Amino acid sequence: MKHILVIDDAATVRLYHRNILETAGYSVDEAINGIEALEKALVTSYDLYIVDVNMPKLDGYGFLKEFRRQEDVLQSPAIMVTTEAGNQDKILGYASGANLYMTKPTKPNQLLSYVRLLLGEVA
Amino acid sequence: MAFIKKQQSSTETEDERKALRDFEGLCEELNHADSQVRRWAVRDLVEMPNASSVLVERLEHENNASVRTGILNALAQLRDTISLNGLIECLRSEDAALRNESIEILKELPDEVGAIIETLLKDSDSDVRIFAVNILESLRHENVEQWLIGVIEKDSHVNVCSTALDLLSEVGSEQAIPAIKKLKARFPDEPYVCFSADLALKRIEEGSQ
Repeated sequence: MKHILVIDDAATVRLYHRNILETAGYSVDEAINGIEALEKALVTSYDLYIVDVNMPKLDGYGFLKEFRRQEDVLQSPAIMVTTEAGNQDKILGYASGANLYMTKPTKPNQLLSYVRLLLGEVA
Repeated sequence: MAFIKKQQSSTETEDERKALRDFEGLCEELNHADSQVRRWAVRDLVEMPNASSVLVERLEHENNASVRTGILNALAQLRDTISLNGLIECLRSEDAALRNESIEILKELPDEVGAIIETLLKDSDSDVRIFAVNILESLRHENVEQWLIGVIEKDSHVNVCSTALDLLSEVGSEQAIPAIKKLKARFPDEPYVCFSADLALKRIEEGSQ
């Protein structure tokens, strides 16, 4: 079973993404900010990260930049999810190490298609 | 052979710091190449009148994280109109870390934020309105629920409403129920809004039993 880390400071968003992903057969962990995500990512090999941008302590860009610096850790793909849809934010997201960028509010079908694409599950 | 650590460097730094405590000197140090000098300048400027404007100006260019945190904390300590406007201006920054830090600082200023939150919640930029809702998350102010209800009743942007709804799920009471039901009816094709509204209604109803 593929293991996904959902990183978002909003409990409802985490629960929403967890429900969608678990229903589709994935195993899900949660982190409430970039610091907690980094701590978890350094000890657990996740297959995919779903990362919010605006979070206290360490935002999504900061998490991805720091995570991508860790040479000894499996560098799994990441989807950046945010309310901001401007080009500048997308550029920052990709520059930080995101593989795909989604704008909130996420739709279940769209989220799952992105997840499957990055996990190499698309036929 | 035992290694004896040299002790004088911190004393010298302290002396140098004390020697330049006038306003002009500190303003110069605020632009110094050494981030430690800038950090001390921020700390000492808080004690000076008219410090707010130079700190806000420096904030726009400061790229060292710890100096920037020092400036944000100094502005929170000063709490005058210029400081508050400087903190609010950070909400428009492209820098997510600066935005989030200013949100955390503004959460600690309930009286000052309470006076301007309604203006922020009507800002033309939907992202600023979202950040204003984020500030309400742990703002100790009696009107928080009313402001959130106002947002989900009137704001046309789905993400602003969703952010307010997430928070209402935690702090909302029975008086929020009609507005939550109306919001769900307003965005019937948005799965996240429907999910979040159902969750909020369930939590509020369970909490009232």
